[in-house]
Amino acid sequence: MKDPKRQRQLWYVIGGVLLIAFIAFGATSFKSNLTPYVSFGDAMSGHRQVQVAGELVRGSSSFVKGANELSFMIMNKHGEKMRVLYKGVKPGNFEDAKEIVVIGRYHNGAFYATQMLVKCPSKYQGLEKPGATSGS
Amino acid sequence: MSSRRSRGEVLKWILFVWIGVIIWAAFFYAPAAAGFKGQSSRIVFFHVPIAWVATLAFLVSCVASIRYLRTRSMADDVRAEVASSLGLLFAILATVTGSIFARIMWGSYWNWDPRETSITFLLLIYAAYFALRAAVADPERRASLAAVYSILAFVTVPFLVFVVPRIYWSLHPDTIINAQAKIKMGSRMFEVLMGSLVGFSGLFVWLYTVACRIERIRRRRQQEVL
Repeated sequence: MKDPKRQRQLWYVIGGVLLIAFIAFGATSFKSNLTPYVSFGDAMSGHRQVQVAGELVRGSSSFVKGANELSFMIMNKHGEKMRVLYKGVKPGNFEDAKEIVVIGRYHNGAFYATQMLVKCPSKYQGLEKPGATSGS
Repeated sequence: MSSRRSRGEVLKWILFVWIGVIIWAAFFYAPAAAGFKGQSSRIVFFHVPIAWVATLAFLVSCVASIRYLRTRSMADDVRAEVASSLGLLFAILATVTGSIFARIMWGSYWNWDPRETSITFLLLIYAAYFALRAAVADPERRASLAAVYSILAFVTVPFLVFVVPRIYWSLHPDTIINAQAKIKMGSRMFEVLMGSLVGFSGLFVWLYTVACRIERIRRRRQQEVL
């Protein structure tokens, strides 16, 4: 018969090693796979449909009302800019948007977005004018 | 025994009133936050506590699993199973509330934002826990395999819940306790959120004790049938 105490200790060691291996595996494999947002470079070189996130460049947007065409620039962390063209209804909170995710493909010098997601500079602070909220 | 039961009864009513007050406060006491579409910021008072309860439940499952491996007592296996199931339930609720918020604020129910991807991993990991349980017939073997799995599963929770949102750029609103460890929230909203966290934690404790009792009875009856 094996000594049950030693056997138990062995299991603790095996368990511990597995746990550490699991953490290491998790940390490395999640890193590249978790984000759907690709860089400007990847978006420009590929022809697949991708998601790109960037900061909306202030004052770069123009909207052609008849054609429902929205055009604007987004900028990444390195200050590189990319022109985005979007056909469709302008999202209601576009004017307040700080950062934008565009879904579509790049060709001929511009990113043609089929969908647009908007991130607003939301803060968990009450509105400036308390009167504005009480319109329920 | 009867005094314990009546104390439980009182606590249940306190919880009931507390949650009622929180729901009222979430809509009428706290103001709507700036920068959010309409009243959509109010979901924070439910979404965040729900996510917190899911994390808490997975922690309880992990602790109960460690205890099971030491004691080999089926009562600990019951605790681990019940906590995991509640964790999964609340994780699903967090996903649903998050998705609704995403539709309103970002314009899409689902776009595989890092937050959405990480919760999907979490759901799959804990769904597999129940698949594992269902696959093993022998109760003791099932209990010990499930315990080991639950401990391993919990290793991923800090990554998926706390690390991922702080590494990747996401559409998700900034976490309330952020990298600078400053609370960025209006005082009324913060009060309601804290109250809601307490309320939801109480709700978890209640659901957990009731579900553990039911599960123990269910297992006992199953044994009697055999």
